[in-house]
Amino acid sequence: MSLLGSLLRAGASYCQSAGTLLHTVRTISTGTCCQIRMHAIPQPKKVDRWTEKRSMYGVYDNIGILGDFKAHPKDLIVAPCWLKAFKGNELQRAIRKKKMVGDRMMTQDRHNLEKRIRFLYRRFNRTGKHR
Amino acid sequence: MLRFSVIFRGRGVAKRFASSLSNESALPPNLLLPTNLVDPDRLKRPPPPADSSLPLLRKCDAAVPAHLTPVQTWVESLERQDSEPLGVAQLHPDVFAVPPRLDILHSVETWQRNYKRISHAHTKIRSEVSGGGRKPWKQKGSGRARHGSIRSPIWRGGGVSHGPRGPTSYYYMLPMKVRVQGLKVALSSKKAQDDLHIVDSLNIPTPDSQYLLDLIRHRHWGESVLIVDVGEDFSENILQATANLKTVNIIPAIGLNVHSMLKHEAIVLTLETVKFLEDKLLWHDERYTPLYPFKLPYSDFP
Repeated sequence: MSLLGSLLRAGASYCQSAGTLLHTVRTISTGTCCQIRMHAIPQPKKVDRWTEKRSMYGVYDNIGILGDFKAHPKDLIVAPCWLKAFKGNELQRAIRKKKMVGDRMMTQDRHNLEKRIRFLYRRFNRTGKHR
Repeated sequence: MLRFSVIFRGRGVAKRFASSLSNESALPPNLLLPTNLVDPDRLKRPPPPADSSLPLLRKCDAAVPAHLTPVQTWVESLERQDSEPLGVAQLHPDVFAVPPRLDILHSVETWQRNYKRISHAHTKIRSEVSGGGRKPWKQKGSGRARHGSIRSPIWRGGGVSHGPRGPTSYYYMLPMKVRVQGLKVALSSKKAQDDLHIVDSLNIPTPDSQYLLDLIRHRHWGESVLIVDVGEDFSENILQATANLKTVNIIPAIGLNVHSMLKHEAIVLTLETVKFLEDKLLWHDERYTPLYPFKLPYSDFP
């Protein structure tokens, strides 16, 4: 009975006709149907804190200080070449990408990049408080 | 990170408490112990007597300031599981006894996490999503809301207006002296909390991982150990023994860093590693500011 009532209540939101049926059916709770479903609470995910990557994280970060400055920690960064040891906002990143990689890009991607640079330049330098 | 490691040790104490007590007074599993609990098994092991006749195996090479005294540590051996310390070594106080600057540790740790971070989250904007060049229906007369393209951000399947854009980098560098001070503070904190162990050399009798685990458990060094040695050639025994262990790791001295020191509970250094570290870290106290990057040749610096 309670199941029928809940179904009708769900159906009433979609179509007008079921709403009239709802007024006729009086929901009576007869069973012990529990509304709270305990198995919906998810198990905490098991994370192995000692994998190879996690135990060796950060090794060689001080290769400059401890290694006679022959290398710099920026040489360790795994990144696209226009982002190695560089931080900037979106316009600066886009300009750097076009400068470094632009002639290797596909035509559609390059066109989108140029449109984005044009839009961001006008947005940053001609609108808003900071120009 | 220091707090997490102490909580981890506290949990070990709770497990021992729960197993040793009888069933009717078993501790509840969600008991919160104070984080500065010391493992009682560690205190049970008696330290060697203070007036022992152990030889002084190492003195500080660099000059120690007059108002500071060198830190003394036992030099142990990995040959036998239950061997007594071989001697005493002196460590420079400006490397192993600096004041515990937790803010420098925090900033170096966040730098290590972030400077190599590249976030590849990327969403297409309305001009990059395929389609959407044509006006879907005429401006007036159709009765529907006015729209210019089917890929505008208010449409389903349209572009994202302010989403993440392209690979983003979070690179920055801390000043060199801050990173050096972070290493010194980490070493001093490990020494102050009795987690630093000096060993004369890394020669083990067997390439068996179980021997290392038994040794660490016998000496109550902790759950995880970081072994640091100078040079790239390690003996085959220690390499094989640590190859299969997850929580016991060996790194060359060039790879020492604050994150690894905080992640592993105990640090094991050899005497040559101590000399190397003191040499490298004390140089920054008395150097001139660089006129050009240090990787270019200087006449007086190798």
